Amino acid sequence: MSEPEAVRAEVETMLALVRERYGPRLDAEQLAGVRTALEGIVQAARALRAVRLTSAEEPAQPFAAYRAEP
Amino acid sequence: MADDVVFAPVRQLAEGIRARRLSPVELAETFLDRLERLGPRYNAVVTVTRARALEQARRAAAEIAAGRYRGPLHGVPYGAKDLLATSGGIPTTWGAAPFRDRCFDFDATVVRRLEEAGAVLCAKLAMVELAGGMGYRQPNAAFTGPGVNPWNREAWSGGSSSGSGSAVAAGLVPFAIGSETWGSILSPAGNCGLAGLRPTYGRVSRHGAMALCWTLDKLGPLALTADDCGLVLEAIAGPDPADRTTVDRPFRYDGATTSRRFRFGVLRDITDGCEAEVRESFARSLEILRGLGTVEEVTLPDLPYDDITRTILFAEAASAFEDLIESGAIAELTAPEDRYTAYARDAILAKDYLKALRLRGVMAREADRVLASLDALVAPGRSGVAPMLGGEVRSAIRGSARDVMGAVGNGAGLPAVAVPNGFGARGLPTSLQFMGRAWEENTILAAARAYQSVTDWHRRHPADA
Repeated sequence: MSEPEAVRAEVETMLALVRERYGPRLDAEQLAGVRTALEGIVQAARALRAVRLTSAEEPAQPFAAYRAEP
Repeated sequence: MADDVVFAPVRQLAEGIRARRLSPVELAETFLDRLERLGPRYNAVVTVTRARALEQARRAAAEIAAGRYRGPLHGVPYGAKDLLATSGGIPTTWGAAPFRDRCFDFDATVVRRLEEAGAVLCAKLAMVELAGGMGYRQPNAAFTGPGVNPWNREAWSGGSSSGSGSAVAAGLVPFAIGSETWGSILSPAGNCGLAGLRPTYGRVSRHGAMALCWTLDKLGPLALTADDCGLVLEAIAGPDPADRTTVDRPFRYDGATTSRRFRFGVLRDITDGCEAEVRESFARSLEILRGLGTVEEVTLPDLPYDDITRTILFAEAASAFEDLIESGAIAELTAPEDRYTAYARDAILAKDYLKALRLRGVMAREADRVLASLDALVAPGRSGVAPMLGGEVRSAIRGSARDVMGAVGNGAGLPAVAVPNGFGARGLPTSLQFMGRAWEENTILAAARAYQSVTDWHRRHPADA
């Protein structure tokens, strides 16, 4: 599958999900807008996936075990 | 009170107040009158807080008369972006029609700290609905209407802190508080010919501020000068138990004049895609900066910076506004595209969000590596001048423009200050940004002050105002 075809397929899959969840609220013009937004999301995701990282590269996110004081 | 207070920097007002040449009450009345009279012209104001302002101003006058001077913001009027909670029946609307009557029973930490510094809250200022988090593509994206630019009333004031930009540029308040998730302080500052400071993530408490993206949201000042931004930052910075992302690194603003030489870096090809006048302004700025230090070209590794920050923003915004989106209440928003675009974000995979967070760590390290040998990276504040009110807002957030400095700066939580550096098409300002290492606000402010000490763009004000 070519890159444009792969993007298109992923967008259509995601669009089906959005249509399933919110379809009754959306008219044709709005669905077209959602599709455009999905194209951007999918393109960004594919750019992220293309960068290889080692598993030691953790999310830059703070988490700390919690214990109420005192 | 003489009109010459209207475009006086905070530092100058402070000197007048401290010496009792200026009355905080008269000052408040001057700016309250301007907010009420001129605010509607620029769609800059949601609520004029007259009663609270006069109460605070009278208290300031009494304290100063009794010899209890609190510091450079004592008795100085200001406006707050309307995503900062305010008590006392003052609405906090987030710029969004569904919240136009909503009130909180507490003050945001920033509002409280400014009160402790003696500043006088004169207005809640207009903003793009939900700080632009729903994907707006046009200036008319708030129930208060599009932010109007005082330099050209056919143009936008910028987003999402649109009222904060318009109000300071039009002399409706001496300074304002804005917020930036990606571009919302630097953009209105640049569009309106102001100084705007985006502090390091964790420098200023967001308690009581609308959450758009928990790991990207920052609060900071817009003012007439970089020096004024430093004065305001000192008042609002510091740890807050109510915001666990704040860091216990005391900030004392160092506004002393310096003769030091600066080391500036410029990312290769940073002006690609900029308007011709923006490139010209930036080239002139670089010549001036070479007189203040050294300028060298630097590079960052090839990473999808915009995609990293965009994915984090979209995923967190979808979660922060989950109730609003899933309930369908976004249908009440002003911009038509804000009523449906966010539905697409349900499709962001957790794995992709986590990949963005992992790459964010790489991005932060690479940015710091480049910045470690510099005082600041410099770049145009915006790739173009403000769009027209009926035009499209080009945005790196949606992918219709490129903004490596914004993506890296916001994604890595780095401080930046924008200052005016010329004019472009339609008489609209262009801007220059200085971005520094984490916690180096004093360094970038010193650089911006040095630039402003040898230029006069910040002394020019809209004839319209």
